Amino acid sequence: MIAKLESLERELDMPKLLIVDDEIDIREFAKSYFRKRHIEVYTASGGVEAIEIIEQEKPDLVLLDVRMEEMNGVDVLKKLRESGNKTKVVMVTGVKEETTIQEAERLGVAGFIHKPLVLDELEKIVLKELRG
Amino acid sequence: MNTKIDYKKELEAASRGMIMIHDPELLIKLIVRMIVGKVQIKHAGMIVYDADQDMFVLNISKGETGFKIPAGFARFDKNHPIIALFNKKEYRSLVLNRNAIVTQDINKLIWQESVMREGSGKKEMLYKVADQMHMIGAVACVPAYYSDKLQAVLLLGERNDGDKFDQQELDFFAALASDAAMAIRNAQLFREAKREAEKTRDLFFRTTLVLASAIEIKDKYTHGHTERVTNYAVLIAQQMVLNGSANFDQKFLENVHISSLLHDIGKIGVPEVILNKPGKLTDEEFEIMKRHTTDGVEILRPLLELKDALDGVKYHHERYDGAGYPDGLRGDEIPMVAAIIAVADTYDAMITDRPYRKGRSKEEAVAEIKRNILRQFHFQPAQALIELYQAGKV
Repeated sequence: MIAKLESLERELDMPKLLIVDDEIDIREFAKSYFRKRHIEVYTASGGVEAIEIIEQEKPDLVLLDVRMEEMNGVDVLKKLRESGNKTKVVMVTGVKEETTIQEAERLGVAGFIHKPLVLDELEKIVLKELRG
Repeated sequence: MNTKIDYKKELEAASRGMIMIHDPELLIKLIVRMIVGKVQIKHAGMIVYDADQDMFVLNISKGETGFKIPAGFARFDKNHPIIALFNKKEYRSLVLNRNAIVTQDINKLIWQESVMREGSGKKEMLYKVADQMHMIGAVACVPAYYSDKLQAVLLLGERNDGDKFDQQELDFFAALASDAAMAIRNAQLFREAKREAEKTRDLFFRTTLVLASAIEIKDKYTHGHTERVTNYAVLIAQQMVLNGSANFDQKFLENVHISSLLHDIGKIGVPEVILNKPGKLTDEEFEIMKRHTTDGVEILRPLLELKDALDGVKYHHERYDGAGYPDGLRGDEIPMVAAIIAVADTYDAMITDRPYRKGRSKEEAVAEIKRNILRQFHFQPAQALIELYQAGKV
């Protein structure tokens, strides 16, 4: 009984992570990856869906891909900040996207991670931001 | 039992077919696809060493969404436990008798290591490997080496039926992976050799430019002359190909380029008072001036690569009627590269200003060249220049 309560408590306490990427393989892989680290994972395939989930579920951290078909990551970030939302965001970028990086920095992000990324680094930055 | 034998044959047949494929990307794709299809596993992928960036990238992945790692998403540095396990000599013994690391072996290995060699670091390594394999959903990792260097790692997910891989299967995976490793290594060696050759070529071209600009410093009245002549000469040669009067290959066009860059290099040996004299040269001065053609060849002779380009340096003052210098060659005795430069050189000299005279208009210069066809100039390069002028390209 106590064990059950404890596990329930842990579940309620589980940090929430939202993964925004228009590639289903990335969303699903990242979801199963972070669930193994006992993180509650939400996914969104585009900007509109992402903003909806951020408002409803209030995730502790958003992993936001820069390059997306429908609305790019920076625009999502801009919309979010314009509405006064201060949710922590880590941007996932390609290697040489200098202007994007500057723009995102101006809007306020917790960090960047570049593709192809080291899974261990991704994990570290996510865990650090979820704890801090 | 029967299915196992068929499966072995399938792999052998596939492996034979793959010998013919030299494109490593395609080969890896085929291997991964075949393993997923024939062996019925949830997913498979291959981490491949990228020598250019000195890192391992997971570039091919196949299987059920959620299990496979998206291609190009992740890289693995040298210290990643799975890479280090296969790469570092001290861990090789852990893998050796299986040709792979398999999750169900790891506990046994850890037990052996902790009993037999406490403090070797191998136990800790194995824990890390187990954790990483769990995170990426791999139950077996098969290394592929080429001349003792890790080139690739095949990642294998769980079988759909939950069965373990037997040793025969692991050996076949290792054989396939090593085919891929060889193809990757060969492709990389080929790229390196090509890059080296391009570098040498580039250095050679830039050295030529250095030589060409040396003369411009001395001969201040002809500033930019070399560059313009080179431009005209290359255009003329290209135009001759376009209008069908010649059939030059790439090598010849390169020779025209280099040869025109260097055509006046011999002027380094001509005294500046003669080079920069505002007015007509005396006969004696002209004799000295003429030497720049043969001096140019002497200067460049040690560069054996330039052999074919030397004709243009030596003979760009020869005339079709035989009244030119240094050898008084006539007609077809004059190499075509020199005949082309002669037209380009004269055209530029006519249309540019000199301290003692104004340059002529392009129209006048072209008319003058036309008048001198088969006297001073060969027909084809002169005709090509006229066409270029009419098209507004010179």
